[in-house]
Amino acid sequence: MEGECHFLEGNLRARKRVDYVKKTLEELGIEPERVEIFNLSSAMGPQFAEIAKGMTDKIKELGPSPVNC
Amino acid sequence: MIVADRKSLDEILWMVSDCNKILIAGCKGCVTVCNVGGMKEVGILASALKIARKKEGKPLEVDEKTLERQCDPEYVEQIRDIYDDYDAVVSMACGVGPQFLSEAYPSQRFFPAVNTTFFGGATEHGIWEERCAGCGTCIIHYYDGMCPIARCSKSIQHGPCGGSARGKCEINAELDCIWDMIVKKKMEQGRLDDLLMVKAAKDWRTARDGGPRKSIREELTK
Ligand code: SF4
Ligand code: SF4
Repeated sequence: MEGECHFLEGNLRARKRVDYVKKTLEELGIEPERVEIFNLSSAMGPQFAEIAKGMTDKIKELGPSPVNC
Repeated sequence: MIVADRKSLDEILWMVSDCNKILIAGCKGCVTVCNVGGMKEVGILASALKIARKKEGKPLEVDEKTLERQCDPEYVEQIRDIYDDYDAVVSMACGVGPQFLSEAYPSQRFFPAVNTTFFGGATEHGIWEERCAGCGTCIIHYYDGMCPIARCSKSIQHGPCGGSARGKCEINAELDCIWDMIVKKKMEQGRLDDLLMVKAAKDWRTARDGGPRKSIREELTK
């Protein structure tokens, strides 16, 4: 969970780096929602599946990356 | 070290808007230490520029090269064989870099990818602060190693001013008042009288006020 990483502050730092990537994508005119970070424990399988499904739906809605088509 | 911040992608994209092929030149000196223009940041900028231009439908070819330093003629030579293979060269060094490069290669164009901000150091990972203004006549021995020129918002040499409150500067509540720190240290050490010393006016001709500066060390010249 957030702030409860095996690497102590690892997932807090990871979040800052994901924010940096989102900011860069935004500067490039690419939807920042293409990258997200979620914090889950290893005992949260159903939530993981739900997030993965939500992310897949979101990407389908956004369509292919403008750089890859 | 010299500290810098990366310019916005928009500004860099504008500089290279008429280019099809560029070189991004990083520097392994100060800008590597302040995480703005070393090998890693050169790679990130190259990817970002390529993505942006691909998206515009005007692909940009980008090569990467990180020099030992861009402020020494011998290292500037590291791009001698390739400099004219490009429409322009974007330097990620401090402002010295693009100038040394353009002096060495007058037929090429050199653009800055960073805003050079100050001489300072990292107070913690990811945070840099100004410590020296390069005034050319160092006076910090009077202030026990603290610099009122670089760190006082008004550069006063006989502070604190009336804007100092609870140890902070009036321009910004986050900013420590360096004069508060100087006076506290003198009091703690029982040497407050040091500040009564009458000194000659500071010679600002050695700072930027005297025009661009040059340092000649005869014993080292050819
Ligand atoms: S070119 Fe600038 S950033 Fe690079 S080492 Fe020299 S002073 Fe530092
Ligand atoms: S007195 Fe001048 S040279 Fe000395 S630390 Fe301050 S700005 Fe730098």
